[in-house]
Amino acid sequence: MSHGSHDENNIQHLYEGDQSKLYSGVLAHHHDAKSPESKAQVAKIWKITLILSIITIAEVLGGLYLSEFMAKWLLNAIFLVLTILKSAYIVSVFMHLGDEVKWFRFCVLIPLTLFIWFIIAFIYDGGQWKIFNENNPARFDYHQTK
Amino acid sequence: MSHSTTAPTTKAFGGGRSPFNVSYGKIMMWFFLLSDAFTFSAFLISYGTTRFFSAVWPDSNHVFSSFPFMSGGDKPLMFVSLMTFILILSSVTMVLAVHAGHCNDKQGVIKWLLWTIIGGIAFLSCQAWEWTHLNHQGAWWASFQDVHSPKDVYTHFFKPDVLAAATPEQLSQSTNNFFNFFFTITGFHGAHVTSGVIFNILILVNTVNGVYEKRGHYEMVEKVGLYWHFVDLVWVFVFTCFYLL
Repeated sequence: MSHGSHDENNIQHLYEGDQSKLYSGVLAHHHDAKSPESKAQVAKIWKITLILSIITIAEVLGGLYLSEFMAKWLLNAIFLVLTILKSAYIVSVFMHLGDEVKWFRFCVLIPLTLFIWFIIAFIYDGGQWKIFNENNPARFDYHQTK
Repeated sequence: MSHSTTAPTTKAFGGGRSPFNVSYGKIMMWFFLLSDAFTFSAFLISYGTTRFFSAVWPDSNHVFSSFPFMSGGDKPLMFVSLMTFILILSSVTMVLAVHAGHCNDKQGVIKWLLWTIIGGIAFLSCQAWEWTHLNHQGAWWASFQDVHSPKDVYTHFFKPDVLAAATPEQLSQSTNNFFNFFFTITGFHGAHVTSGVIFNILILVNTVNGVYEKRGHYEMVEKVGLYWHFVDLVWVFVFTCFYLL
């Protein structure tokens, strides 16, 4: 079977061309599974696994025990920081975004800054509605125990 | 002119090569995932808005305090922690499958894809149990709408002091909202896990049949891997929003 032949048995090219020239640094060099580079990469994956596990255990312990006496806003802030940290490890190492070129990273990450507005605006809106309800005479029965 | 294989001969945006050094398929997967991230965050942020709007809210340590085959409901967060570990580990086996693909190691790809599929199915089974369990406590979409229900129906979901102080309207409205969001968001996530498992099975069949070996690269494993990691990523946020905050 020669390369580039378009016989009926070789229809692979119709589905996906040879994109190896387009690969990022991750795939540009194929290496042997037994090579030191490969082993270093696998070791890094397991290290990140350990970090993600420790963060998750810390979150669960925090949810179980710290919620008894720690201020709710402080505990929530810790949870959110740990969540962002976890997602950063997953995106950067597991999804290999950290290995892509700089401008591709920005193309993915810059649209996410919309969330800053998105979260603040909608959470604030929810809080305002609560205040409105509590001060609205038509809704007083909602807050009174019968 | 040198014949270096790495130095490109055209300008970045001159055509003929990807300016990002990433293939078309992978770029499109990234942008699909970006749009999916906005869908999920719209769900989660509307959940947050509703929660801020509400006078009372169910307590996760009470709602999620059961474990299969163990009587009593005093194991808060244990089962969902197990689910989280299963999904994180399946993400790890997926990244190992992608790595084996980088090395053109067909047996490695098969082995790690199999583990990933097992992890995905285990996660879905856990979710099926949790949904069934909550359903037996009366929870479903549009449940707890009757404001005349006795407070007893809410004992599984609230801290005792909150339950005692709240009005029937507050309990009905917040529990109804909570479970609508819970089933919608975890259901939407579960649908993603289901399709991820199906994609994984498809690429496993292709790998076994030697399709990618013939193609010379395992980029398809990488693309499905991106999707699978995204599903894990969404769970990280679902876990925080529903079970921790």
